[in-house]
Order: sequence, then C-alpha cells, then structure tokens
Amino acid sequence: MIFDDIRLEALKNISRRHFLRESAAGLGAVALGSFLSSCGNGGEAVATLPGVIDPTLPRPPHFPGRAKRVIYLHMAGAPSQLELFDFKPELKKLDNQLCPTSLLEGKRFAFIRGVPRMLGPQANFKQHGESGALVSENLPHFAKIADEVSFLKGVYTDQFNHAPAQLFVHSGSPRLGRPSIGSWITYGLGTENQNLPGFVVLTSGGKTPDAGKSVWGSGFLPSVYQGVQCRSEGEPVLFLNDPDGIKRDLKKKTIDAINEINKQHFDEFNDPETLTRIAQYEMAFRMQVSVPEVMNINTEPEYIHQLYGTTPGKASFANNCLLARKLVEQGVRFVQLFDWGWDGHGTSANESVDYGIKNKCQQIDRPMTALLLDLKQRGLLDETLVVWGGEFGRTPMLENREGKTMPFKGRDHHVEAFTMWMAGGGIKKGTTWGETDEIGYYPINGKVSLHDVQATILNQVGFDHEKLTYQFQGRPFRLTDVSGKVIREIIA
Amino acid sequence: MRNYSTIFFLGTTLFLWLTGCKDEKIDFSAQVKPILNKRCISCHGGVKRNADFSLLFRHEALDTTESGKLAIIPGDPNHSEMIRRVNLKDPEERMPYKEEPLSNEEIRILTQWIKEGAEWGDHWAYQKPQPVVVPTTELNHDWPQNEIDYFILKKLEEEGLGPSKAAEKSTQIRRVYMDVIGLPPTPQQALSFLNDNRPQAYEKVVDELLNSEHFGEKWASWWLDMARYSDTKGYEKDEGRTIWRYRDWVIKAFNNDMPFDQFTIEQLAGDLLPNPTDDQMIATAFHRNTMNNDEGGTDDEEFRVAALIDRVNTTYEVWQSTTLGCVQCHTHPYDPFVHEEYYKSMAFFNNTRDEDVPGEHPTLRMYKEPDQKKLDAIRSWVAETAGPERATEVNTFLKTLEPKHHPHDFDQFNKGALIDNKWLGIQSGGSARIKQINLEKKSVLLMEYWSSFEGGSFEIRIDKLDGEIIGRGKLLKTNKIVMYPIEPRPGKHDLYFIFRNPTISPDPAVCNVEWLAFLEDLPEKNTPEYGLFKKAFLDLINTKVENTPIMIENTKDQFRITNVFERGNWMVKGERVDPEVPESLNPFPADQPRNRLGFANWLVSPENPLTARAVVNRVWEQLFGVGIVETLEDFGTQGASPTHQDLLDWLALHFMDEYKWSMKRLVKEIVMSATYRQDSRISDELKERDPTNRLLARGPRIRLTAEQVRDQALAVSGLLSKKMYGKGVMPYQPAGVWNSVYSGEYWKESEGEDKYRRSVYTYIKRTSLYPAMMMFDASTREVCVSRRIRTNTPLQALVTLNDSSLVVAAKNFATLMMKKGQSPRDQISEGYKMLLIRDLPPKKLEVLYKLYQTALQDFNEDEDAVFKLTAEKTKTAQLAALTVVANAMLNLDEVLTKE
Repeated sequence: MIFDDIRLEALKNISRRHFLRESAAGLGAVALGSFLSSCGNGGEAVATLPGVIDPTLPRPPHFPGRAKRVIYLHMAGAPSQLELFDFKPELKKLDNQLCPTSLLEGKRFAFIRGVPRMLGPQANFKQHGESGALVSENLPHFAKIADEVSFLKGVYTDQFNHAPAQLFVHSGSPRLGRPSIGSWITYGLGTENQNLPGFVVLTSGGKTPDAGKSVWGSGFLPSVYQGVQCRSEGEPVLFLNDPDGIKRDLKKKTIDAINEINKQHFDEFNDPETLTRIAQYEMAFRMQVSVPEVMNINTEPEYIHQLYGTTPGKASFANNCLLARKLVEQGVRFVQLFDWGWDGHGTSANESVDYGIKNKCQQIDRPMTALLLDLKQRGLLDETLVVWGGEFGRTPMLENREGKTMPFKGRDHHVEAFTMWMAGGGIKKGTTWGETDEIGYYPINGKVSLHDVQATILNQVGFDHEKLTYQFQGRPFRLTDVSGKVIREIIA
Repeated sequence: MRNYSTIFFLGTTLFLWLTGCKDEKIDFSAQVKPILNKRCISCHGGVKRNADFSLLFRHEALDTTESGKLAIIPGDPNHSEMIRRVNLKDPEERMPYKEEPLSNEEIRILTQWIKEGAEWGDHWAYQKPQPVVVPTTELNHDWPQNEIDYFILKKLEEEGLGPSKAAEKSTQIRRVYMDVIGLPPTPQQALSFLNDNRPQAYEKVVDELLNSEHFGEKWASWWLDMARYSDTKGYEKDEGRTIWRYRDWVIKAFNNDMPFDQFTIEQLAGDLLPNPTDDQMIATAFHRNTMNNDEGGTDDEEFRVAALIDRVNTTYEVWQSTTLGCVQCHTHPYDPFVHEEYYKSMAFFNNTRDEDVPGEHPTLRMYKEPDQKKLDAIRSWVAETAGPERATEVNTFLKTLEPKHHPHDFDQFNKGALIDNKWLGIQSGGSARIKQINLEKKSVLLMEYWSSFEGGSFEIRIDKLDGEIIGRGKLLKTNKIVMYPIEPRPGKHDLYFIFRNPTISPDPAVCNVEWLAFLEDLPEKNTPEYGLFKKAFLDLINTKVENTPIMIENTKDQFRITNVFERGNWMVKGERVDPEVPESLNPFPADQPRNRLGFANWLVSPENPLTARAVVNRVWEQLFGVGIVETLEDFGTQGASPTHQDLLDWLALHFMDEYKWSMKRLVKEIVMSATYRQDSRISDELKERDPTNRLLARGPRIRLTAEQVRDQALAVSGLLSKKMYGKGVMPYQPAGVWNSVYSGEYWKESEGEDKYRRSVYTYIKRTSLYPAMMMFDASTREVCVSRRIRTNTPLQALVTLNDSSLVVAAKNFATLMMKKGQSPRDQISEGYKMLLIRDLPPKKLEVLYKLYQTALQDFNEDEDAVFKLTAEKTKTAQLAALTVVANAMLNLDEVLTKE
C-alpha cells in the first residue's frame, strides 16, 4: 500500500501534536478536553491521552482491568424484580391487603394514587445451583447457570420515570447531554479492532429506548465515541452499503483515487488532518467489509443457533445476544443491548406481571443463558463483563392508576430497590450482595446506587471512576458525577 | 505519572511565553493563580475549606485559619504558615497534603508573591476591557489591511515569525463565501471576482455577501446551537414542538443586522418591552427551547426547575462565557462566584408562566387576518370603555390565554386524580382543591375541558369542602373552552371543585380539565356590545391557531419566591433570595427593573466586562476555527488564556463603541483583515512551532460544518432550494431511524424542493438527530453547545460516499459537468473548477480521469448498474461514470475543507 508511509508520517504528527497540544494543556487549550482534577478531587491523567488524529487507538487504562470489554443487557421498561429474582414469601401473605400508609408518605410514584393494595409474587421460586440462588420459574434456563453470576439485590435509583431513569443508568445523570458508559469506556480505552466501531448498540422489542439515542450518545465527548447502532434489518450500519449500481471494486478504486489526490494535496498544504482523512477513508472501506461479516449470523453452526434460539434476519433479543458474542470476539469494546417491552403496569396483557412478563422472559431466558455459556466455552467470559438490569424496579403494590383497578396485574415504577446481575470479567461467581426487607420495598443491607454500579463497571475495565474525567463547561465531568463506590463485595 | 510534570513544566513555559515573561513583579493571575488552582484550591477553595482556609478570595486567604495561624502574611513569607508548610519534608504535614510537593520554582513564585504583598490580581475576564492602543510593528509594513493585523503581526514579530502571503483569489473567494453565507460561490460569482482586478474587488464581494439573505441562514446555525433550538420537546416522548418562528426570527435578525444589544434584550425579555410586537414575543422563545417532559407520571415542577436551571446556565454560558453551572451545588471551585449568587441570578428567571405542561403554555397564538381584526376590535372597545390597562390584559389573554392555572395546582383529590399527571379527572361526587385564588373582581371562570358524556355539572365552594357556592355550571360532551360566571370576593381563597354526573357509572371521570382561568369580565355588561364582544372573545379563544411557545411573566398573584437549593437539590430549599447579579461583575444598573429586562440590560451595559468579549470571540472562532480564547464557554481561571488579549479587548470595545453592536460590521472587519486572507499552506517551520495556528501566521484550514457539507453538495449540483423560512423539512433519511416510543410521529420525506432546502431548515429531533448531520458533529440541541468539537471519522466517509442524497447530488453535479465540457477530461476539469474555483492540476486530473475510465468500462458492461445509479433509462454509461467521479470529488479533503 502506498499509504503505509503516510501512516508513519501521521504517527509522527500525532506524537508531535500530542506533545504540543498537551503542553498547551496547562492553559486549558485542549482540543479534546483534558483529564484535569475534578471538583474537590486531585485527578490524574490516563497514561496515554486520546489524540486528535486517531482518538480511537487502543490505550491502557489506569490499572490492568479484569475485563477487556463489556456487554450490557438493558431490559427497557424495567422488569419486575419480584417476579424474577427477589422472592418475597411474606408479600404473598399480604396479597390484596391495603398498603400501610407508612410506605406511601412522602413518596412519589409515577401512577399509583391513593392507597393501593399489596400484590404477592406472580411466579414461583426455587433455589438453584450450589449458591442456592433464588430464580423464578419464569427463567428456567438462566436458573441453571445462576452459579455464574453475582446478584445485586439492593440497587436503588432516584428517578421514577423511564427516560430520565435510563439516562441515569447509562450516563450517570437523569438529564440529556452526558456521555454514556460505552462512550466513557471507548474514550478511555480506544478500540481494539479498527475495522469495527468500538461501541455498538443493538435493539430489540420493536422500539428504541424511551430516552432515545441519547442513552448511547457521547454527550460532550467527541462524537467519535458515540455508540453505533447496528441493525438487523436494512443496512447493518447507516450508510454502510454502497450506492446502487456501484460495485465493491469500483468503490475501492474510488477511495484509492480520493486518497491519491488527498496525498497530492497533503504534499502541497502539509495539513496532518488530510492524512487522518486518508486513514479514515481506508477504514471506512474496511468497515464496509467487516461489519456485514460480523453482523451475519447465517454462518454460525446449527448448535449455536439452537443454543441461543436464533432465527436469522429478525431483530430479536436472541439474535442480538449472538451478535454481542460475535462483536466482542472481534474486539468490540462495549456492546449495549436494549430489549424494549418490560413496563408491567397491568394496562394490557402484554404489559403485566402475570402474563406479559412470562412472554418477555421466554424471549430473553435462553439467549442470555446461551450468551454466558458461549462466552465461557470460548474462554471469553473471564475477560468480558456482562451486566443485566432495568432502569428501576417495580412496586410490591398493585398498580391502581388514577385510583382505579387495572385490567391486568401490574406494578408501578419503584426506585427504592431492584435487582441487577453481573457476570464474567472478574466478578465473583454465585454470589448475592444486598437484601431487601420482607416485602421487597427497601434494601436492608448491601444497598448500592447506580453510580456504585457504574464505578464497578469502570473498575473492572481498569479505571478509577473518580479519575476518568473530561473537561467541559469549565469543570471536569465524570460518569459517576460526585459519588459512586466500587462494589468490592462482588469482585473476585 | 511520569509525563505529568514534564507536561506541566512545558505548560508553564508556554504560558510564560504567551503572557510575556519579564523579570518583574510576580503577576498573580498569570503565575500565582494557576498554582493555587492546580495544587491548592481543591481542598482550600469554593468546594472544601479544609482547616477553615480558602484561597478563593483575598479576604479569606488572609484570614486566621482553624489553627489560629495566618497562612499568608503579606510582606512576610517567613512567618506565613503556607510557605512553611509547602517547604516541609514530612508528607504528613507538608502541603499539598499527600500529594507531590510543589516544585522549587512554584515555591519561589509563592514566596516572592507574599513578599511583594500577596496582592490579588483580579482575573482579566472580570475586569472591564480598557482602551487599547493599536500596536506598531517594525517589519512587514505593507502587509496589514486593518487594525487587527497589527495585533497579529506584533506577536508574530515577537516570535520571530512572519505572516503568510495572501491566499490565491480562488481560495479567498471560496473561503469568504463559506464563512459569510455558508455556500460556495456560483461559477458566475467566482468569475466576476477573479476578473475584477480593482483593489476594492474583495470588499465588494464581502459587502454583497453581508447583504445576501443567506447571511442570516449561515449565522443562524451558529446561534441555534447556543439557543439549543429543536423541533421537538426532548425527553421520552420527544414530540414535535412548533417553534420554527423563533428560528426564522434569528435568521431575519441577522439579515437585518439587528444590533447585538437589542438582539439580546428581545430574546431574554422581549415580552417585558412596552407594547411588544409579535416578533419581540417570538424572540423570547430563545429560552423556551428548553426541554419539556411529557412522559406519563412526571412531576411538572421538577422539570420546570430543570428548564429554569438550564436557562440560567445557558444565559451565563452564551453571554458571559462563564460556567455558573458549577455554583448550582456549591461555591465556584475556582472563580469568584458564591453558591447563593446562582440562585440570585435564577430569581430573575423564576417568574415566567411556563410550567412544563404538555401544551407548552404559554404560547403566542398566531391569528389569521380576519380573526386578528376581531381581536383588534375587542381591544379598542375595551380600551375605550375600561381603559388601556384592561385592554392590555384582554389582549394578553387573547394572544396567550394567560394568566391561567394548570391541573397540577390542584390537591386534596377525592375520587379522582391527575390523569397521567396532566389532566384533572374527578369521578361523579368527587372533588379537588385549588389553593389561594385571588377572587378580587374575578367574575368569570374560563375552563378548557373535554368530556365524553352529557349530563355533567360542577360547583365551586369557597374556603372549605362544604363552603358557600360561588359558581356552578353544566359540563357538556365537548372539547373546548367554556365561560362560567362566578361571584367575585375580596382576597385569596381556597376553592373546592365538585364534579357530578348521575347518568354515568362511577368509574370514569366526569370530565378532563386541561386548564382554568379566573378573570375580570368584559366591561359594559348589560349592553348589546357586551354580548357581541363576549361572543367574539369566546370564538377567538376557541379558534385553533398556530402556537409558538414564548415567555410571559407571572402576575402578582402567581409570584414565585426563589430559594437557594441546598447542595443544588431542588427539593431541599434554603434561604430566600431576591434577584441580584454576581458581585464580581458590574453592578446592576440603578435605573433598571429587577426582572429579565433589567438583567438583559445589565448584560449589554458598557460596564459589563464579558458580553462583548464573549461575542467577538465566538465570531472569531467561526471564522478562524479557534477563538482568541479557545474555551468559548469559559473565560474563567480554568478556561484558556487569550492568545491576543489586547486584540480581544480592542475588538470588544470597537464592537460596542464603533460598530454599535453591528454583527455585520464585526464580521466585515475580520474578513477584511490580511490575517484572515492569508494562505493556509503549512510550512514545516510553522507545523513545528505553531501546529494549531494560534499565532495566525497562516490562514484558517478547517473542515466544513455538517450544514456546509450538505449545503455545498446541493449548491454545486444545482439542487439547492432558495426557499426560506417555515416549518422544519424532512429530506431523505434512511428508513427505520425514528423508532420513538409512544409517539405516532414519523419521518415523512418532504416533497419537491423541500427535499433540498438549506440544512438550517432540516427538522431537528433531539433524541434522533438527522443522521448524516450528526456524523459531522452537529449538535443534538439538548443543551447549549458553544463549540462543536470537530472529528474526522470513517462514519463521515460513509456518509459522503454512500448517503443517497449525496449520490443524487453527485449525479446532478455530473449532469452539469457534462453540459460544461465536451471531452470527459474537460468535464472533470470544469467540475473541479465549479467546486473549488481554481484549475484542476494535471496530476489530479489524471487520477480522476483514470477513475472515469475504469468506471466507464464497468458501466459499459453493465447497463443495469447504469440504471441503478442514475435511476434513468435513457442515461448513458458516461453519465454513470461521471457520477462516480463527481462522488469522488465531493469526498476530496480540499472540498470538505475550508482552506
């Protein structure tokens, strides 16, 4: 390739520019923000600063991370912990009794009005594996691998509406405009595979999350760190397909011509930005090859399809789990899955905790189990952190929207306690941390915030969450805002 | 962190170089403050005051600390505790605590500074700019074109550098077109400039551009990022919002060269001007571009407060380049702003009528001509019969339906609730209370409601649930605003609304109330005119009209008290505060009211140290790619230092005093400078010494913005529509990009020329930005964005190579190229010239021609591919091949760059 020498030249420029740019950093004169100290905390720079020229080059974190990559499974709409993992026999006894007013005073709910009735668990539970983890009958496959995961049963949030709560989970703030976890991690670590985006998003359930594309947005970080949505239908990545009538080979020649002229132009103008563009056009071409390859699940063997329960061509959670495995296998840093349809208010059969939740569980049970098993059999689980959760929990009370009885059994949004789990990537196996009271209303120990969860995720990939910062609007921002504590109890 | 100290050392060196290092008295701002900010203030400043010692203000720093010792004794470093502690070896006692010790040089600076009296130089940005003498220079006497150039040249000479020669005329004209109107010149425009050898040829072009209607479109894109303009409301539902009249107002304001002080006042407080025009009301939509949360079950007050906070932060960021957001939770860690001052500023903004309701009230109702005439008739009749004050009230109500109450003002629900937290829905026999309504002279209740049932009724009881009835009425199966008589009472009262409908089952609500208003009746009751005008009044308020969200101030009855939020938490209210501006800035003008209007006047007062500097710096950044202060959003001590502070101050003063805040004159001054017109080639020496071009020894070379990339392609291919203004348009976007929850809205591709409008008119949805523009760093308009960080990514390449609308542009461009030349070589050369004005160098021509031949060969063998690419049966393989070349040309670095 004629471009090899250009790349060398580009690298020279990178380091030179780094040097000069960073020497200007004392003035805050930075093109890409900086790693200055945060409000009240003496921060430190990560070892290598992201460059202007190639901000996606891989770089080491603050300390060696147990996980090299992350798969985040988000059940959008917020599944009920009381029908999945948090078994409350006492709640069964209280079923249909009026909720004590002490649980309602000073609380804000999205829909519950007046005094609702308690609602017992709508599923049977059994203990599973050596850890004796409680998993409901709604997740029969997952129950078999409960020994692989650490449950967090005392997670809480302070946002009781979907969009702000989802933003809080993914960006550490309930308002739009902050970078998502995936953006922070690719900002900190770069990408391993330059032919694929470092941060990929896959959605299922027919809709994007309530908070829209902002949950994988890069906020104030440069847009190069935003999540790239890969799609099962249409182009796998927007604008990836060649225009109709233009063949691969002609596209290659087009890019060669563009780059050749850009090289000539560089010789005259001497602008390093031109060299970057040459490199990016090459990468665009390679992405056009590698993205469809990785997004094609047809080539997977039959036993894999059976394991996941996949049907090629559909935008299903099962397909997305398999794709997540393929993507991390190819070195994608952060894969975020959103599965929509978990909002069990009881307003319809689909959105209920007595019917709809069973269908939703069927859709995720086998695939997420398969994902852990498949990662494990490939030796990838140890270095891949898998996180599962919703944006909040559901109330132990039956929802009575506007004071009325709902057609199906439903639970309102609940911020005080919900369950998440993590697996792989240096997380303990077969552990439960945190416990709620006998009706699952409040955590009574092991209470953790979403900032704690985020701090833990960053910790597993090698970052001190207080030091991974970005200067914006005059102050250093971080994912965990001004709080967050690594949950050491679940770290192996 | 091995590199860290090296970096810091180099930073200091460069810093000294920028501030001019002389062996004189220690300069607090340049030498001391950076050390304090970096090494001390995180524990001894606005956030933490360990040992009761703070270095934020001088009076604090000189105060006795917790230990009883004085940390700083001016003139006496030997007895200053601070100097003793930084010199210690024991890490338990040494400062900074448990951190690397200060360097010898840092200690020397601090010691010398205390010896010299520990003076507290104020940060430059908070001092009013002082008159600046334009520097003289020794060399290059024939280079400067205007004053700007002397400032630039002076610094270059200090550095032993010289300016670059002027760029070729072809480069100059494309650059100035792109910068001033955001579009490339047409071949005719370019040619007339290239052929005009008179000295004033360039100025003539500049004047034409400043008079072009496209000027406003270009600069609107810049301003709308700061205004966070969007066609949707944001958050979960992110439904459409009709606020495009504000966008059009901005375009017109720039085109009319509205002085920036007026531009400021109208946007922040147009509604408070005497007899505001519709345009002045629409200008206030600047701060209605905040998000509105319609998600079911959300608390309106929480999101009203979120919008309010956004307004305070945005106002300070845009006009003051100050990060007041920090002060929301605690005293500013670095800059002289204390916690309470945030809320004192907030108090100016806290009394607008908007309350995060789905209808986005208050809105300006845009009546059509005949209805407007009716309105005028009512107003003059009221003026004649009841005086101008009543006329204004009636007019305001007809134009805005304010002042009104929203259902969230109700409480004590009995058999009912706020449905979806939005509408009041009470079952038969149930009730709800609304508190403290002023009934003085209020003889009319207006209520907007809908109901699916006949036979409903309501009554209003005063002071208690079984109190006296002061009003009652029938509820119809309808959806409109209905007027009911009520009994006026002196003073404020709690009112209980009781709803009944014996004909329906107990479950559904009798009706859903959207809002209500307690008003004085029209005058001259018992006359025939009264009846006529009352009917006209009701007809008008029930007319469906287009609504633009605007600002209106609360009435006295609705006045909101502002409290400090403890640690920034809106639920934990601290002491009450009144409107006041930060003490570190200019005092509030004595003759101004303590409201938004007064605040706006304070911002544009000649005494304000920041506004003019902030604006000229932002305009400079638009033209050169980097501001004189790189951090456009932060002039504070953590922001970047100005590279040419004298020039910044000179421009700021000139902008106010000479140009009288004229944006066009400011832009003209800068683009007329020799500095701006320089060649942008980078010599090896400059690449080494000034890689980011802060000294401006060469012209700017900057990637085009998202809007420019698209607009340029449409313009050169002849597709660009000249149509201005109106609703946001929806050009081609790949299918399946919008998949919003709970919203029936979808991307409906515009028809005809609306597909090819300038990008400033493209519909902006916050949670799903137009993807081709998002890839090129366009802002999602969620919050104020002062500067877009330019990236260079493979996804951008995919857009310009593959996006159907750019392929269509390439095909049209190829068609134009074919008309321009006979041979393919001629056609390619002509195309290049259309794009870049200059001639195509032979070496580049050969590359493109080779591509053409390869493509032609392919297409000759594959008719089907020709059809697929050109979408036309009669077209030839030549057109298809030329389309491939055109596509390549639209992807060239030099085309995607302003150089």
